[in-house]
Amino acid sequence: MGDKPIWEQIGSSFVQHYYQLFDTDRTQLGAIYIDASCLTWEGQQFQGKAAIVEKLSSLPFTKIAHSITAQDHQPTPDSCILSMVVGQLKVRGLVDCQYWNMHNLLKNVSVQNCWSLYTHVERACILIFELNADNFSGLTDMLGLYVSVWITPGG
Amino acid sequence: MAEKPVWEQIGTSFVQHYYLQFDTNRANLADIYTDSSCLTWEGQGFQGKAAIMGKLSSLPFKTIEHSITAQDHQPTPDSCVLSMVVGQLKADEDPVMGFHQMFLLKNIDNKWVCTNDVFRLALHNFGQ
Repeated sequence: MGDKPIWEQIGSSFVQHYYQLFDTDRTQLGAIYIDASCLTWEGQQFQGKAAIVEKLSSLPFTKIAHSITAQDHQPTPDSCILSMVVGQLKVRGLVDCQYWNMHNLLKNVSVQNCWSLYTHVERACILIFELNADNFSGLTDMLGLYVSVWITPGG
Repeated sequence: MAEKPVWEQIGTSFVQHYYLQFDTNRANLADIYTDSSCLTWEGQGFQGKAAIMGKLSSLPFKTIEHSITAQDHQPTPDSCVLSMVVGQLKADEDPVMGFHQMFLLKNIDNKWVCTNDVFRLALHNFGQ
């Protein structure tokens, strides 16, 4: 069995660490960001470790569980690692959402062998199989998520 | 009206061009890749323009249409542009499906090319 390429090892390892932290104690995510980091969360931009940690800590849910469907890792021209994750998350047991993260990892040169998260984009799509006026607007208000409406053939 | 940041202009313009070419004539996408570009298509890796175009040209649908739900663009430390797209697509008479795609764009000789491209359909195990 061949070894996985180094970027896959680093990427997979980072992704596992990230979601473990996210699902147990989001305030600890500060360690992976640097002052030059950017986060785009559902279209909103945040710059720098402090602003990013504040946003993540202030998200309005207490319990969250991520489940990874697939992850892809690629090396970039400047020796960084690009990771894309597609999965599902459960917030307060209310509704299953898809989510999609893109991470661009940057080697933090001041700390040997420490990978920091430079750019992070998060998008979630709520799958709503039965659109219903009551739950639709309540959900989008609460979670502030974009909604992709799935068109099923045959109505 | 405030102008969009330059990385948003570049990203938006690229994304529009990419899906227009993809939906009308995929062979035209050759220009945006280089010999060191990487594509990961549904988990399969392709390295270099020739391999990438080989994969894209061999995709087994006759008609395809992409519809973008959202796109995000960010600048990177080395002056590249990261673009992420979430949307839906319809191939031939298949049901509409969601997709996620990201591009890393780099300016080489005054031209923006795609060095990294990752595509995934939004397929999960629902109904649990």
